[in-house]
Amino acid sequence: MKQVWAIATTTLGEAIRRRVLLVILLVGVAFIAIAPGLGVLSARSETTVLRSMLLSIIQLTSAVIAVVLTVYMIPNEIERRTIYTILSKPVHRWQFLLGKYFGAVLALMVMMAMMTGVLCLAFFVQQGYRADGLTQLLRAPIMFFVQMCLLAAVGVFFSTFVTPLVNFFLSGAVYLVGTTFSSFFESMLNNPSSSNIAKIIGRLVNTLLPNFAYYNVQNPLINPTVVIQDETQNYIKIVAYGVLYIGVLLVAGILVFDRREV
Amino acid sequence: MKKTATTLYAALALLLVGQGALNQLVVRDIWVKNYMPKGSQSATSGLSPDQMLLALAGFREMIAGILWVRADSFFDTGNYDAVLPLIRLVTILDPHQIDVYATGMWHIGYNFTDEDQRSDRRYVPSALALGKEGARNNPDTYELFFETGWMWYHKVDDDYKQAVKWFEEAHKRKDMIQARKNLLAQAYFRNGELDKAIDLYYNLWEEAVALEKGKDATYGNTQVRETIENNLDTNLVRMVQRGDVALKNGTYEQGQYDTKPPFDVGFSARVSVVAPRTIRVEGTWNVLPVGTRVRIVLRDADYPNGTPAGMNWDISDEVKLDPPKNITFMQDQLFVRNRRFDRIIDMSKDVTMYPFSAKKYLVEFYYNPRSAPPHIQDKFGYTGIGFTDSNFLSSDARPGERVMYTNLELSQDQILQRGEWIDRSAVVATKNFDAGRRKLDKDNIINIPNLRAGA
Repeated sequence: MKQVWAIATTTLGEAIRRRVLLVILLVGVAFIAIAPGLGVLSARSETTVLRSMLLSIIQLTSAVIAVVLTVYMIPNEIERRTIYTILSKPVHRWQFLLGKYFGAVLALMVMMAMMTGVLCLAFFVQQGYRADGLTQLLRAPIMFFVQMCLLAAVGVFFSTFVTPLVNFFLSGAVYLVGTTFSSFFESMLNNPSSSNIAKIIGRLVNTLLPNFAYYNVQNPLINPTVVIQDETQNYIKIVAYGVLYIGVLLVAGILVFDRREV
Repeated sequence: MKKTATTLYAALALLLVGQGALNQLVVRDIWVKNYMPKGSQSATSGLSPDQMLLALAGFREMIAGILWVRADSFFDTGNYDAVLPLIRLVTILDPHQIDVYATGMWHIGYNFTDEDQRSDRRYVPSALALGKEGARNNPDTYELFFETGWMWYHKVDDDYKQAVKWFEEAHKRKDMIQARKNLLAQAYFRNGELDKAIDLYYNLWEEAVALEKGKDATYGNTQVRETIENNLDTNLVRMVQRGDVALKNGTYEQGQYDTKPPFDVGFSARVSVVAPRTIRVEGTWNVLPVGTRVRIVLRDADYPNGTPAGMNWDISDEVKLDPPKNITFMQDQLFVRNRRFDRIIDMSKDVTMYPFSAKKYLVEFYYNPRSAPPHIQDKFGYTGIGFTDSNFLSSDARPGERVMYTNLELSQDQILQRGEWIDRSAVVATKNFDAGRRKLDKDNIINIPNLRAGA
């Protein structure tokens, strides 16, 4: 565990020093900061629009950071040959991979926390201090964080066997499909003209794909009239699903990475 | 090493099965019930490619927000036509944006007008459909039930059963605003359910008194209580003087009430085509006090789902941004002054709204005492018991209701002044129309009773 932690903290340091990530972060923070300037609508519309904007900026920026952060993770170490120095020490490959992943998670946590801090500030500027509204709103970034951890796991998994460019598009595609497929699948289930074979294949894909849509919980949070029963329990179940899926990706990554020639 | 790999494969299999089971058996149901986007994925076709990509990638709310800001700027510049598709897109992308639904309904129902500010009634079914959709998508809040009820009550202003139905649904929601609850009672009155209206007022009064005594009482609570007291008091007096209490007790025939005997409004009308697509409407109405508005409708004789002086407003569950452009439906009010009305209705400037593509047209005249202002209802009664018309009283136009209804026919050639009508005006009139009549007998003039006799 010590080795994993050491690699994770080093990865965090590297991530913070990477300019491209900082630029993406700064763009995100800047957008969040200027969003309250959209105050042109009715009070309630303004709240709804502002919340949706702020949360979407955090989500979008975090997704880009998660992908950019993880696609280079293993290939860079191999290319720069730094991996040999690490693996020549008493460090297993699985520890290296886990360390890299947790480093990415830590980096995401730091960056998302910064954006969430600016979100709180923007919320405060526009709405004044309302502890209940803010607490409710903060649930979304927490769920986005789990979503990004899942996306980072996808990126780390692919980075064990594909090049960064391919990984960028592959992870992006998995994120896109993983976000949209559930809706298509439900439409397919409700459509009486869909064939049974299509439904079976759809269910299989829906089961195997990482389901990013589950973490898009912002709608009830930005529309205060929507009431959700047992919200906390729902979140726990959704997080549990994410943790299991991250486990799948990391174990699969370890298996692939273990067999890879470096 | 082999053992480790086997363990990892076993762990992988376990995790895979575990996530699959959790996904399909637990999480999916939660997501479908609470978080799944309810709008159609295919309906994002109005978006630009980048917007569509973002919307599909789970940023629907953000795109909806951007579009709504854009729609707002179109409102400000008066570009109403551009607003409609944006409203539709926003409600599809985020079906929980109450304000967008409410504004969209109002916009579709009220803002498409001709040069004389007459609404394009062909849009009203779509406005109601948007309200229905909004209420379906937001069943936990009163707002869209109330807004849909309001559209029935105020815009359609004819089918109070529907208004009552939607207001009652709004009342079932916990977040219904106290100050808006009065409207259900008013809808009950117009629907002829007087006892229900009074019962509701009493319940609202008790609620208001309790709220006023509560620890979070505001000045608004006092205002609401006073409004209810005033309405209750006024309507109780009116019910007595109009004979509604006596009707319930079975003593109406014996007593003297303001609604007795039924007053003959003596409606008559003449319609002249004074220019292509322009008509002059003249006529009589014996009620002297200002406040009468007789509905006039000019529509295709075979208007789809047409009803006397109206249409089946509730026909559609689908929001159509583009109602059929080849049908004509003009609705306006004839304001009566000094017992006469005389109005020029010019439909020549809005050919898309009044295409006149059909061969035959009906000019319909309609008056429902239920929609009358209170000072007129003091004579006619809530449901028209004190109202009659020796020529045009109808209980068929609105089954079970006492209304005035008649219609006249015009042909396409007559309205467009072409063919044999190219150099002359078509004139159609009710049989009792007397062009020379200017003054009516004193006995025919309606006397508005005092609300409190002897006061």
